Amino acid sequence: MTIFDLSPIEIEALVLSLRVALIASALCLVPAIGVAWLLVRSRMPGKIILNVLAHAPLVLPPVVIGYLLLLTFGVRGPVGGWLNDTFGIRLVFSSAGAILAAAVMAFPLTVRAVKLSLEAVDQGFEFAARSLGASRRDAFLTITLPLMLPGILSGLLMAFAASLGEFGATITFASNVEGQTRTLPLAIYTATQMADGDAIALRLVILAILLSLIALTLSELAERWARRTIYGT
Amino acid sequence: MRRYQIFGLVTAALVGLGGTARAADVTVFAAASLTNALQDIGRAYEQTTSARVTFSFASSSTLAKQIEAGAAPDIFISADDDWMNYLAAKKAIKQDTRVALLSNRLVVVVPANSSVVLDIKIGADWLRALPPGRIVTGDPANVPVGKYAQQALMKLGIWDQIAPRLVRADNVRSALVLVERGEAAAGIVYATDAAISKSVKVAGLIPEDAHKPISYPMAITAGSKSPDTERFFAFLTSPAAKSIFTRFGFTSR
Repeated sequence: MTIFDLSPIEIEALVLSLRVALIASALCLVPAIGVAWLLVRSRMPGKIILNVLAHAPLVLPPVVIGYLLLLTFGVRGPVGGWLNDTFGIRLVFSSAGAILAAAVMAFPLTVRAVKLSLEAVDQGFEFAARSLGASRRDAFLTITLPLMLPGILSGLLMAFAASLGEFGATITFASNVEGQTRTLPLAIYTATQMADGDAIALRLVILAILLSLIALTLSELAERWARRTIYGT
Repeated sequence: MRRYQIFGLVTAALVGLGGTARAADVTVFAAASLTNALQDIGRAYEQTTSARVTFSFASSSTLAKQIEAGAAPDIFISADDDWMNYLAAKKAIKQDTRVALLSNRLVVVVPANSSVVLDIKIGADWLRALPPGRIVTGDPANVPVGKYAQQALMKLGIWDQIAPRLVRADNVRSALVLVERGEAAAGIVYATDAAISKSVKVAGLIPEDAHKPISYPMAITAGSKSPDTERFFAFLTSPAAKSIFTRFGFTSR
């Protein structure tokens, strides 16, 4: 049996992980650009508070994030109760919950990458565009945003890679439901708990390592490609 | 030479700062359902001696796997015979010390604000009385409460109906929390877990003859080092400990 000869359970965990990671990283993107812009370009007061809040998931224990999500987005929580009563949406036990947990945990990584790229953009270009009559919005969309592309790409892929590995917040908030929230890391954990699960666990571990390495490599390549295309270096 | 010195210093610092359990401390790995009762028993024991007791509570599967991988508690208390047998087969416990310590019962719990009352027996359509939503218990693949629950549900002839709604929790206390928070419509937990939670109530008792008798076996591990182990082991079967177990709803075996 080779590693590529995957069982249905392994395929299910793999596909679910990819789907969760893809949607979670996409969800992070626009808010991350917004927060990065506020942190770098705006003169709003209390920037440091926003900075700390945006980076909190990086340093807080994942179980804390998961538990706070459960208190907020559970059916007894303020937001979760409203979602359930109004739209009939329940996040716990569902892949939407796994996506939310992964997105929250990956958010700081996206913000960091986007913020770095925004800091590197020469504001002179923006001023030049403004002096030629472009609105602030146009200057941002046509000058700044394209120049931020390397950071945006690497932020996206970092978030994707991190989402693939999210464990603590997911199991605490969305629980461990096969086909819904049992992503690769949760499937590995489940296998390690079984009396003869070592072989299953090891196969999943190899799969997880391969996937993470591929995502990281892609992130590196994409950033280089974008840098070359935009800055010619 | 210098490198070795630095390495030695760092190691010494890590060991010193990290702190390891004192040899006299008795370390007990115990099934999550025993958390509250054992903490009380530990406190009662510590009043009789200067020795300390340290507990680690998790699903019996987690603990058995940790012991297999080299964790060295002095005493292991499992929530079913399977995981004790598993360690016995790996020679990780002292088989001659093994005793059946306690028994328990399975109940169906619902959130406290629910008014559901279930009459659970073979052939009765008691599932219909439950509100829609998920039903949570331990993972039947490895968590003892889930194994007992699966046996019972199969015997009661409703396993196929419940299986698609089942959420397989990590251990019995995670299952309890999901019912407390209203995320699951109902849960199958031990009577003792239902008793310690104010946010759930028992909707029905699962007949005891529907599953293998619930047994909490206890044994001293092969790697036990604490000189106090046997004393605490004996304390766990003493009348003082028994009365605490009984207070939490366990029955002695």
